Amino acid sequence: MSAAAPETAEAPRSGRSRARRVAGWREHHGWSAAASLRRLAGRPVGTFLTVAVMGLALALPLAFYLLLANVQSLGDGLGRNAAVSVFLKPDQAGPQAELLAKTLRERADVAAVAVKTPQQGMDELATMQGFSGALHALDEHNPLPYVLEVTPRADLDAAAFERLSADLRGERAVDLVQDSGQWRQRLDALLALGRRIVEALALLLAVAALLVVGNTVRVDIASRSEEIGVLTLMGASHAFVRRPYLYAGIWYGLFAGVLAVLLALAVEWALAGPVAQLGQVYGGRLRLGGLPPWLLLATPLASALLGWLGARLVSAWQLRKAA
Amino acid sequence: MIRFDQVSKRYEGGHEALSQLSFEVADGEMAFVTGHSGAGKSTLLKLIALIERPSHGQIVLDGQSLSKVRRGGIPRLRRGIGMVFQDHRLLMDRTVFANVELPLVIGAVAPAERARRVRAALEKVGLLDYERQLPASLSAGEQQRVGIARAIVARPKLLIADEPTGNLDPQLAVEIMGLFAEFQQLGTTVLVASHDLPLIKRMKKRVVVLDHGRLVADVAASEVQ
Repeated sequence: MSAAAPETAEAPRSGRSRARRVAGWREHHGWSAAASLRRLAGRPVGTFLTVAVMGLALALPLAFYLLLANVQSLGDGLGRNAAVSVFLKPDQAGPQAELLAKTLRERADVAAVAVKTPQQGMDELATMQGFSGALHALDEHNPLPYVLEVTPRADLDAAAFERLSADLRGERAVDLVQDSGQWRQRLDALLALGRRIVEALALLLAVAALLVVGNTVRVDIASRSEEIGVLTLMGASHAFVRRPYLYAGIWYGLFAGVLAVLLALAVEWALAGPVAQLGQVYGGRLRLGGLPPWLLLATPLASALLGWLGARLVSAWQLRKAA
Repeated sequence: MIRFDQVSKRYEGGHEALSQLSFEVADGEMAFVTGHSGAGKSTLLKLIALIERPSHGQIVLDGQSLSKVRRGGIPRLRRGIGMVFQDHRLLMDRTVFANVELPLVIGAVAPAERARRVRAALEKVGLLDYERQLPASLSAGEQQRVGIARAIVARPKLLIADEPTGNLDPQLAVEIMGLFAEFQQLGTTVLVASHDLPLIKRMKKRVVVLDHGRLVADVAASEVQ
């Protein structure tokens, strides 16, 4: 009945009208996206508060993720690369020790092997507080065995390290292998727990972000019931009335995601100094594990999706109430 | 254009707003619906726009039976009707231009064409210079004219108005009614609900008189004195 183009969704499906449908669809979406952005800009304080709350909620898991990644790399730096002390049996003398050291040096997973003679061991003990008296009591008889200080290659993973350790234990000449294996296992278990906690936290905070957007959109819809009524009377479809609110959810989510990434980068930047210092103390073996680029990109996208979902869930029943 | 056939409307709670109402409005005709308050004028207009559904009887609009229009088809039907309200129902946080533009946005008209048509509509109601103003800065009569510009901007074949002059002084009311008469001359079918009998008599258009939901008189334009 109207001379104005009918709303796209209901036009007949011929070739030309399909082109018009697409044009109309783009027209509607462009208008809704711009209109919702203008509305957000029209009340900057409310928009900022919603974005800030949602952004902080999303920044928290990112910060924990960063912390966890660094504890892991700290563990890798300290534990895995630490030298393994291989105590030879007391009957093994210098030549056998050198021979075993030579064999071990040829292994691909070993970076270096140092041979410590019983005398060197004794000298080390002598420098330690409180041992000198005890050493005198030994009366020149040195009970210490030869010790090989085996340094594994820096990039070994836990399983390869475990294999090396087992091989060392299997050597006939070896009496005792002292490595950080147990310490590693505990750390790994703690890290696994930490990861699970971060995942659970991320899920809870994502739900919180969803609720924040949902509530903001709910209040927005409630305050615009008159406008919704007018639009409906002028022949706006349910989808048309709803669309600006869905876009608002997307904008909230997108801005909050960007804010979360910026906050996480700020935390990373703040950590960089202390971590570098720690790294120096440990002879340059530690580096700050930053947030991976895919996560920096995925966070705003996932957040926009959350915003859309929150707006969608709320607008479905809120609009029915308002109409 | 409009045909009511034995139409009754009973609201929940038993109040019968219209009973067995039959009348027709031809294409391009202008008619007033009058009667005391509660006679069923507003209900009649609501049935045409499918804001309410009749309890009995049939309404045919531009050849289409309204009983066959499902919920999903209501928006399309309403896009073909221009509606003017007593309280104009403008969006007060948007400019005059943005208010008048809304039906075209809903109709997915491209921006350049929208601007052209909005200006043409504003010119018709004499408010072209007001497009950047907010409705609150306009007088009551001007606000109602913005409401009329919004109703006609999408060039509907049917214009319905519910007490469009109810809040206006007599001078402004005559102006507004004059606008409706102009749109009729441009080919639009116009149906106006009003209880202002002196004004209606001045307009010399057909008058449909309701009383307690029943049609009690149908006076042709030529017989109005």
